[in-house]
Amino acid sequence: MRVTTRVLGQLARPVLRALPWRALGAGAAAGLLLAALPRLLSDDPDPWTALLLLRGAALAFALGLTFLLDDPARQVTVAVPTRRMLRAALRTALVAPLAALWWTAVVLLIPAQIRPPIGALTLEAAAAAVVALAASATAVRLTDESEPGQRVAIALLATSMAAALLFPEHWGLFAAPKDKWWAPGHDHWAFVLAGAALVWTACGPEPVRRRRLRLTPS
Amino acid sequence: MSAVLEKAPPAERADEQRRSWAAVLALALFEARKLLLRLPVLAMFVLYAAWIGWTMRDAWTTYPALQDVDRATQTGPLLPALAVLLCANQAVLRSRRQDTDRHFDVLVLEPWRRTVAFALSVVPAAALTALLVAAQFTWGVLAPGSVGHGSVGELLVGPLTVLLAGTAGVLLARVVKSPFAAPMLLVLAFFSILFLGAVPGDSNGSATRWLVPVIGDASSKTLPSDLLGRPAVWHALYLVGLALTLALAAVLVNGGRTKTVAAALVVAVGLGTWGAVGQAAKVSKATTDARVLATLNPAKVQSCARHGNSTYCAFPEWVPRTGTWAEVTDHVQSLAGGTAAQEKLLVRQRVEARYGMDGDGAIEPSTVPYQVTVGTRWGGPRVPEFAAAVSSVLVMGSEKATGSLCDGRMVTIMWLALGWQSDPLTQLRAVRLDDSVSGSAIVLSPTNPMSMTTQQTDVVRELLTAGRNKVAPAVKAHWAELTAPKVTTAKVAELLGVKAPAGADKCE
Repeated sequence: MRVTTRVLGQLARPVLRALPWRALGAGAAAGLLLAALPRLLSDDPDPWTALLLLRGAALAFALGLTFLLDDPARQVTVAVPTRRMLRAALRTALVAPLAALWWTAVVLLIPAQIRPPIGALTLEAAAAAVVALAASATAVRLTDESEPGQRVAIALLATSMAAALLFPEHWGLFAAPKDKWWAPGHDHWAFVLAGAALVWTACGPEPVRRRRLRLTPS
Repeated sequence: MSAVLEKAPPAERADEQRRSWAAVLALALFEARKLLLRLPVLAMFVLYAAWIGWTMRDAWTTYPALQDVDRATQTGPLLPALAVLLCANQAVLRSRRQDTDRHFDVLVLEPWRRTVAFALSVVPAAALTALLVAAQFTWGVLAPGSVGHGSVGELLVGPLTVLLAGTAGVLLARVVKSPFAAPMLLVLAFFSILFLGAVPGDSNGSATRWLVPVIGDASSKTLPSDLLGRPAVWHALYLVGLALTLALAAVLVNGGRTKTVAAALVVAVGLGTWGAVGQAAKVSKATTDARVLATLNPAKVQSCARHGNSTYCAFPEWVPRTGTWAEVTDHVQSLAGGTAAQEKLLVRQRVEARYGMDGDGAIEPSTVPYQVTVGTRWGGPRVPEFAAAVSSVLVMGSEKATGSLCDGRMVTIMWLALGWQSDPLTQLRAVRLDDSVSGSAIVLSPTNPMSMTTQQTDVVRELLTAGRNKVAPAVKAHWAELTAPKVTTAKVAELLGVKAPAGADKCE
């Protein structure tokens, strides 16, 4: 245990430098810009647009997070003694406080009188973020690609748009606070969060055998 | 790609030109195949096809109007458009991601020609969308009882949206080389457009409204196609111009600074601007006049047909449907007694077209005796609604008189309207606003709605379950008493031999 802590301490600085800051920053900036729209452009904002923009901001940040595990030097780092699980966890831990800070800023940017219930929206945003992390962990686990971020981002974006359009209303994943499906919808979000966290954990470790699945380069 | 690599550099310039265009074509075909086989694109096309099946599932029973079906094809292609944008973008960035950019320096194909090939590679995806749009529209055309005319301009919007998305993806990859730019910008654009769309603005004749690819309408009613006033052809021209502009701009920023490209870009920008200006124009005076005429004085533009005793006047596109209306009228009239059974009705189709597709308005009930109003839609609840209008006119004499109705005649009206149907209780549910078969409710009709009290509902339900053969002779026998003003619901029940309802009638 002490060894792990020391290794993590030593790893923190290089990992911090190697994080895909541009993608994360772009996601955060897009989210902040979306959340600022009601204050910038609208004299009479309504709660529905605030909900929409908060969801947009969460999606933008989640898209940034899909690049988190991109490691151009993957073929080299695969050989280091620190397990991939630890390295991935370190990356996430370094980004987590910033993400929390960013989400607070986004929420505060939405004017108080039109702000949707924050607890529920935070659950949605957390679920989106963990789904993004789980998706990128899956891509890293199942393929040899060193930078699967773009692929995962495209898949996540396409899936979320199709889901918003096609999921039945009674699942309540994209309900508004006054809908009757709002409460069950957030139970579903909690399930999504839990499921994604499971997938994420399952895909954390480096596989013992050689990976078989090989996607053709796009 | 390997085909390009294997070719030796040709000696002669003309030959070289020809070969490099052949290489462009080869690359475009290769990339097109790859794009169509990408998982997101495939999945979105499958979803889109499923969406078509879902939206058109009841086309065979809802008597679609083709001027609505063509616009209904526009939102579905947004699904493949999203995937095509992202995947075309990713395809252009592939060489950068895999660090093969520098190998292209030794090829005969200049970088800008590669961009041309990438722009061409999205054309098959647009063509596939066109096929699916055509399939959806054909399904609407083949549906029994479909009327009206589709517009080529509206049908082109779907495929052109996919083309536009693809060229936007290519241009984006040539301008911003980072892999996260396309998804981020797409999210940003999507949510800001939704936000700006939700902020109330001047919707009437707003020039900026038509700048997005797919434009919905505030109203969902069906109008004769010449009254729609949507600048569909201009909009298609705008989309073509915009897609060409994006593709040529991508070629230009990639070093294709030849005179041909510059000239083509100028033409494309011109086309786009021409379309944008054309679509921003206000609805023409001729259309506005035609809308007013169709609303206030429809007889001027309608053609009439005679079926049996009655005359049916409809806008030219709906004339084939008059026979279907006549069947319903004949059924209702066959149940009536007294003079009403032989009355010559005039069934006139009416619309509220003055606000175009920007707003709805109720159709005022007609004051002309024995004139019945029919709307532009048919199928589903529209059938019992029209039947209720016919029976109310048979009982009351005119649509206007129905407005003040508050007595037992409502029972007769509803029984005439529904008694001939094979499943009258389902139809009763359909014609009532709250989809109920007990309690008081509003009954819809093409013009002003009528209201049923709890007692009347009980009697009507009893009559409908008693069956047509039992009730029809009683209705004919007691016609004069049943249609006398101020007859009570209890009296009607007694005359027709069903249990009198408890409690007094009270109109709401």
